[in-house]
Amino acid sequence: MHHLVGLRWLLGLYTALFIAFLYGPFAVMAILSFQQGPEGGPQFPIREWSTFWYQHVMGLAPPSRIAPLPIAEALTRSLSLAFATMVVSTVLGTLTAQAFRTRFKGSGVVFYLVVLGMMVPGVLLGLGMALVADQLGIDRSWWGTAFVLHVVYTYPFAFLVMLAIFNRFDRSVEEAAWSLGVPPARTFRKVTFPMIFPGVLSAMLFALTLSYDEFPRTLFTAGSDVTMPIAIYGTFAVEIHPNLFAFGILTTLFSFAVLTVYGILMGLSTRRARARFSDMQEDIA
Amino acid sequence: MKQYDLELLKIGKVYPGGNVAVEAFDLQVEPGEFISFVGPSGCGKTTTLRMIAGLEDITSGKLLIRGKDYTHVPAERRPTATIFQNYAIFPHMTVRENIGFGLDVRGIGTEEKRRRVGAIIDKLHLGDVADAKETSLSGGQKQRLALARGLVTEPDMLLLDEPLGALDANLRKSIQEELKLLQRSLNITFVFVTHAQSEALSMGDRVVVMNAGRVEQISAPFELYTRPKSPFVARFIGRNSLFSGTLAGAGNDRAVVETPFGPLQGTPAFQASEAKSGSDAMVVVPSEYVEIDGAGSRAADTSFDTIDGVVGSIDRVGQLAYPTVALDDGRSLRLETYADKIAGRGVEPGGRVTLRWRPARATVVLDQQPSA
Repeated sequence: MHHLVGLRWLLGLYTALFIAFLYGPFAVMAILSFQQGPEGGPQFPIREWSTFWYQHVMGLAPPSRIAPLPIAEALTRSLSLAFATMVVSTVLGTLTAQAFRTRFKGSGVVFYLVVLGMMVPGVLLGLGMALVADQLGIDRSWWGTAFVLHVVYTYPFAFLVMLAIFNRFDRSVEEAAWSLGVPPARTFRKVTFPMIFPGVLSAMLFALTLSYDEFPRTLFTAGSDVTMPIAIYGTFAVEIHPNLFAFGILTTLFSFAVLTVYGILMGLSTRRARARFSDMQEDIA
Repeated sequence: MKQYDLELLKIGKVYPGGNVAVEAFDLQVEPGEFISFVGPSGCGKTTTLRMIAGLEDITSGKLLIRGKDYTHVPAERRPTATIFQNYAIFPHMTVRENIGFGLDVRGIGTEEKRRRVGAIIDKLHLGDVADAKETSLSGGQKQRLALARGLVTEPDMLLLDEPLGALDANLRKSIQEELKLLQRSLNITFVFVTHAQSEALSMGDRVVVMNAGRVEQISAPFELYTRPKSPFVARFIGRNSLFSGTLAGAGNDRAVVETPFGPLQGTPAFQASEAKSGSDAMVVVPSEYVEIDGAGSRAADTSFDTIDGVVGSIDRVGQLAYPTVALDDGRSLRLETYADKIAGRGVEPGGRVTLRWRPARATVVLDQQPSA
């Protein structure tokens, strides 16, 4: 018993450290984002609490010597890119996983070819893509060359998520639908898809977040109209002001919002059954 | 020509790797018949059912349903409904939606659909849970839902793949009866797959016994029980005592097998012309036809076949007694009899006994390796 108590303390300490390292930087950033502006710098102590830098990010602050973050357009690009990547990767990943439900000739090779997309170092892939594009005379752009690489990168994640979902999927449910006279296409829409929907949501979340803050592949392939992570990186070269922190907090809040939507959709797709049944029981009672 | 509901004409399935799952399965099913498929796991019974349902490719032979060729028609265009072992309920739909699902593609009006769904819900007592989903259903309710969902589409026949396997013993018994009644009232063909011989025998009008991808015997339950056609069936169905030997002679209604216990007789399960004297054969005696007496306690009666043995132990369960008798060849037989039938007959542990039965009750089967 005694040594177990020690182990428990050790694991507790480990967990505490993990959480400290996960949230520490974020907490520091959150505090410094409320630094007084525009004179306050990105370090302690806080001279005076203010929301100046948040106003600055939104373009609401009075003009000062600090240039606004060049992120407005970059943010739009990143969000559009992430959204498009999410849709394409999830559709492709789901279809590929569906194909992998039956063993086919060469399925092993195809599996590794697909999964390689997330294994190959991003910097090399980005550089290679830039070279190929130049060779072929294709202009590099965030919606062209970068988009292709984002899909190559996130599609294996979506594929693996859906593969895991299909592994646990009971085939006889589809067979039951066919044997009731429902053709395969309608069976997929009405039976298979609703059942794998939680997995589809997870695949979408993966693709969205991976694409949204993708850096190495985008760096070489986005051309002159950069995405948000590249734009931020660009500002480091000049001088760092707390407006970056304010932006960091805002974008994190956005991520939480996405996660919340994910959680709600997930809950709805699994909880609806129980809720409806308990309503019914109340009606009876 | 007679119209069968279902005809399997030498259908077979070979997997791409060359494994044979089912070989030359021949079967004609009359309208309204209840057919059971039984056999050990891996014998091909479920594969055959899935071939009828269109869920498994048929690699040889032909499948006819009401005279029409369905060999290569996909599952959704066959007039069959399948009940799966795990019921395969659509978990995201309510009971009502599950039942209505198969009607949506049939171009049935809303009013008609509601009427048919309502009728089947009443028939199978699902009214209390009509708006519940799978997670809140009991095993029996899922079972009835699976039936309702299949029956509402008014199939020509119902295919059931071990539908009682997931239920506990008591429920299984009552659902067996319900199923049988349901089939009688609907008067459509049921094909029922099970690995439990008691289920196959009690439910089927005819029973198909399968082993290793082949049909061993197709018979009515009583005939299957009393007149097995092969050593496999004799071992698999009922509680038979088997005595091997070589065939000494065969007529139309009597065959003699030379065994280590002397010549034993029985009704041949084969045509006299099929068998040569000297080939391997087996006498099969259902254990309920075997009488057991202390040696010498009864006058010899040449109208019985007899063998001798020594009683090992006697298990008693209520008024039933199960004596274990060691034979001279080292085997021991477990027999079933009534306690008062052996009382006072000198049947005691350690005592020598004579087992006897009327040769007409015994069956002689040929013990041949199945021809490839």
